[in-house]
Amino acid sequence: MGFYRALLYRLALAVVTLFLLSIIVFAGCQVLPGDVGRAILGPFADARAVAQLNHQLGIDRPLLVQYWSWITGMVQGNMGLSYTYRAPVAPFIGHALLNSLKLAAIAFILVVPAGIFGGIVAALRAGSWVDRSIVIAGLSATVVPEFVSGIVLIMVFSIWLHVFPLTGTAPRHAGVLEQIYYLLMPALPLFMILFGYIARMARAGMIEALTSDYTRTAVLKGLSRRQVIGRHVLRNALLPTITVIATQCGYLIGGLVVVETLFNYHGIGSLIFAAAKAKDFPMLAAGILVIGTVYVGANLIADLLYSALNPRISFGGRR
Amino acid sequence: MSKRDQFISRIRRNLSEVENDLMDNALAGHIDRRGFLAHGTRLGLSLPLLGALGGAMGMGTPRAARAAGTVGGTLRIAMTVPAGAIDPVTIADDGGLMVMMQTAEYLCALNPDFTLRPVLATSWSPNQDGSVWTFKIRQGVKFSNGEPLNADAVVASVERLVNPKNASNALSAFKGVLSPGSSKKIDDYTVEFHLDAPSGNFPYTMSSDNYNLVMLPANYAGDFEKTFVGTGPFKLEKYIPKVGCSFVRNDDYWGPKAFLDRVEFTFYTDMQPQVLALQGGQVDMLAQMPVASGRAILHNPQFNIVRCKSSAHNQVHMQCDAGPFKDKRVRQALALSLNRKAIIKGLYQGYADIGNDSPFCAAFPSTDTAVPQRDQDLKKARALLEQAGVGHGFSVTLTTEQFLEIPDYAVLIQSFAKKIGIDIKLHIESQDAYYGKAVPGQSDWLDSPLGITDYGNRGVPNVFLNAPLTSSGTWNAARFKNPTYDGLVTDYVKALDLSAQKAVSGKIETLLLDETPIIFGYFYNYLYATSKAVSGVLPVGDRPFLQTVSIAQS
Repeated sequence: MGFYRALLYRLALAVVTLFLLSIIVFAGCQVLPGDVGRAILGPFADARAVAQLNHQLGIDRPLLVQYWSWITGMVQGNMGLSYTYRAPVAPFIGHALLNSLKLAAIAFILVVPAGIFGGIVAALRAGSWVDRSIVIAGLSATVVPEFVSGIVLIMVFSIWLHVFPLTGTAPRHAGVLEQIYYLLMPALPLFMILFGYIARMARAGMIEALTSDYTRTAVLKGLSRRQVIGRHVLRNALLPTITVIATQCGYLIGGLVVVETLFNYHGIGSLIFAAAKAKDFPMLAAGILVIGTVYVGANLIADLLYSALNPRISFGGRR
Repeated sequence: MSKRDQFISRIRRNLSEVENDLMDNALAGHIDRRGFLAHGTRLGLSLPLLGALGGAMGMGTPRAARAAGTVGGTLRIAMTVPAGAIDPVTIADDGGLMVMMQTAEYLCALNPDFTLRPVLATSWSPNQDGSVWTFKIRQGVKFSNGEPLNADAVVASVERLVNPKNASNALSAFKGVLSPGSSKKIDDYTVEFHLDAPSGNFPYTMSSDNYNLVMLPANYAGDFEKTFVGTGPFKLEKYIPKVGCSFVRNDDYWGPKAFLDRVEFTFYTDMQPQVLALQGGQVDMLAQMPVASGRAILHNPQFNIVRCKSSAHNQVHMQCDAGPFKDKRVRQALALSLNRKAIIKGLYQGYADIGNDSPFCAAFPSTDTAVPQRDQDLKKARALLEQAGVGHGFSVTLTTEQFLEIPDYAVLIQSFAKKIGIDIKLHIESQDAYYGKAVPGQSDWLDSPLGITDYGNRGVPNVFLNAPLTSSGTWNAARFKNPTYDGLVTDYVKALDLSAQKAVSGKIETLLLDETPIIFGYFYNYLYATSKAVSGVLPVGDRPFLQTVSIAQS
């Protein structure tokens, strides 16, 4: 199988995955308790008003009709109207996705190099106090939930020291640097959660690679330590780490409800959380599909990177 | 005849029978100044006149007009994100109402002391039996889109909400009160409402108490969120769904202009970040603050806490038609097991008023305060259980919603009930799951033998008396069916004057205390928190009006 055929195959698989995902989300929405009109009008609204609103929103139609009209719209690039906001879903999703990507990017830029570097240092000095402190600090930070670390960070840096703003949302028309400044605080809890994870994966991969046959061969054939590590060890050691990082992308884009709530940041995680609570199917489905797309995309990129780093595996079979 | 008496009798000659009954009550000392004002405004007497009469009767001067404030500045407010589109017809959440009310106004509005003040209506009055109410509309008022406010706009605004085809959230408030086609334009500034049944408290149905009933232009097309069309003290600057919005002062406002240049709202999905934002100086005010989330700043002298008494409460219903609570002695026993003062201290740090197992809270002027207060009495509770044949106790499940202090209240009830041998198992679920379809058979709320339900602030007890307690009540989770009670409620609703209302309310309170279908343990206060720079917050039930607010420039 050639590279492009393999890529096409993967893309087709992704479309099927997303299609199945949309059915699961639609079915899930039907199982959620309560109904949409009731959720909007509140428990004390008159039943006639609820029925009327459900009719206006089109959710009193048969399920298959509802799903068909939604999926045909989706295929034509129309994400539909939000039930709760009674406005097109697309701008909400676009805005939230952009915000999520910004925050994820900042967190990514901070944590990936730091995690890998920490892991390498720890592995090279395995057993030393440096190794122990990196491992223990990373592990301890990982188990602190975001709502705890986030509040502590806000109390210290925003309320006592006044060095960082309390929110991740920069004022309207803020420049790039100002936006980064606002995003540093929300990125820190994510850093704390992911650092230990990535560092441990990198460390384990490094140690395995350092004790492998090919490393011994490289050392025995007289290469310098720098060459051994740079050319032979790292390429192999980082492979599992890449997979781990890719799987964290979905979390970084869509799983940050707590951090987004705490820092009042309008990302896609809190958008779909609110949509799920309100049974706002078009919003929920579009949000989940977007996250699904990011997830599938990140895994595809990870596989490409994998094959680029590891000559034994190539994307789409032997080259 | 003294000068004072001359003044009073001169006024009285022009008053109706009903209005004179109020005067009799006031002169005899049966009601205090607050009650006098509440009932006077309900009957459509103007506040200045009532103030003068009250003064002549020695009730003290009416509330001073607005304190002088600083003009200018931007007030930054943190608030809970509106739950959906800002549509006056369907809106039901505090967040949405808070922003809607900045530009849109009511015919009349609830004051902190449960009186009504004229806003877009200048006066209102009933016919002899209270079946027809006539509202006079303020002249010379224009909407922000240039359309005039007149009888056509008022009739259209009301008809829009009573029409079952419009998914109107006010439909339940108008049910049995006002039907489609019953609002009649008499002239350009007079509207008559022909009620389904006589009602003494009808002006409250036309007030901010019925929060969907803001006045919109006659040709309103359903696009409120784009225009925020209204007559209010502020005009829309920008609205971004889920993020925030801002308003600027309306310099063409018909009444006293707002002090603030601008108001800026930031939306939050949770309370804690709002409290942190106030602490960090990022906002100047929290639009609402439940005690549980505000503990960090309640006693911090850097902030002002504005407290407003309300009739909001959490009802503990007990199913009267089957199961362990069929016997009223068991219901009384559970009510007697509660230490209400401890509950108020624990849940609300004292920011609540004690309840006496009826919807009549101390804040309502028509409440008969002579009915003895129920207190904790474990001995009596155990004896009652013994008499009911469940002296060895029993087991029951308390179902309720995950909402503010309610789960904590459930735990407290559980521990008090244990003292008299009732073993309560807790089933706490999401609000969606609890309310379900909100019809019997498809709602844990209406189907559970024991449950706790939240009820918001109302200016008069009518809704609390009807829906959760009458035989035909749509929210009757207690399944309480008592013809005597139903009759008393009908009498109360149509009673036009205070003495008639009070006579009935005493009977209702006594009956409910004996039957105890619902435990009303407390009525909690609404709190608003501001920085020290903010002054003039006029709290109205659960929502602060910002027209009188000013902020000191630093």
